[in-house]
Amino acid sequence: MQKTNNYLRAIASNIIVLVIFSANLLLTSNAIADGITIDKVYHPYVQPLERELEFRWLNYDDDKSSNNQAYRLGLGKSFATNWFAEAYIIGEKNNINNDSTISAYELEAIWQLTEQGEYSADWGLLFEIERQTDQSIWEGSTTLLIEREWGRTIGTANLTLGVEAGSDIDSELETAAAMQVRYRYSRALEPALELYVSSSTLGLGPVLMGENRFGNRKKLHWEFGIIAGLSDKTPNATLRALAEYEF
Amino acid sequence: MSIRIRKFIFLKLLWLAYISPVSATPEFKIEIKNHLFYPAELTVPSNTKIKLRIFNRDSTPEEFESYELNREKVIMGNSQTVIFIGPLKPGEYPYFGEFHPKTAQGKIIAK
Repeated sequence: MQKTNNYLRAIASNIIVLVIFSANLLLTSNAIADGITIDKVYHPYVQPLERELEFRWLNYDDDKSSNNQAYRLGLGKSFATNWFAEAYIIGEKNNINNDSTISAYELEAIWQLTEQGEYSADWGLLFEIERQTDQSIWEGSTTLLIEREWGRTIGTANLTLGVEAGSDIDSELETAAAMQVRYRYSRALEPALELYVSSSTLGLGPVLMGENRFGNRKKLHWEFGIIAGLSDKTPNATLRALAEYEF
Repeated sequence: MSIRIRKFIFLKLLWLAYISPVSATPEFKIEIKNHLFYPAELTVPSNTKIKLRIFNRDSTPEEFESYELNREKVIMGNSQTVIFIGPLKPGEYPYFGEFHPKTAQGKIIAK
């Protein structure tokens, strides 16, 4: 029964999100998203008793983005066998005048829908809500997380449908996709290739990642990548780094 | 973004969306007692997806972890869980309990 429920949940969420996302991606010709969507690729798994401290950093190499760096600090915890929540402080830094600001706060939750390896792909959902600090702008999104395993090679897709609202912005829908192909070479080092697509972003590039263990459930996961811009709206190169400390 | 690229992505998404349920998956059992895995070595058929049902008889949680199997799963105290692994190529796949890594060790042998 549990397996059937998981299966039906996965199919239902899959159909809803894919139909909306695909229709938008295929039929919308005008740019509707505002920012660069290069960030990180999420995986559809949650561990009970998991706690983590996370830091992410992005650096854009040109002036196509209003700020040249973005960073976020997050604290997360699983609160059920298949739910994980994390709160973030998001900052920006302009490389020209060195101004740093806290630009937004964000809450996110990951819902693991299926057991890893139970079906031909593993499924999860990511919910995010973000509030800008200096303007009345809210952003909410739902992302379908899909992961599939071919031996040592892992393919992951994140398909996002979001909405922006508030008195300082015209409400609009946004779609985005992030995809990653990763080779599990060793725990300490895994190479990957990532693709980011939205109406304002088209980027592709290599990422290295790994994990270092410090005994009794303490470990550091790190990622570093260079995403090349493949469209006029995307920065020529985006450096991205991530460090997650699980404890 | 060109229509051609969008169609390519759309077809990739449809392919990723395909789900097939696992049918008639062979099931094997592992127990955790006193922070040890029983049996410590489990032989399973190669090239077959299998279901591991893990019973944690201890009152404290344990985590089944194996980089070789690409699996990581916490089993709360006095409870059970299911882990799907494979299809595995013939060989040995070590795993350990992350809460007690020095004692809780085992391996899956695929033949």
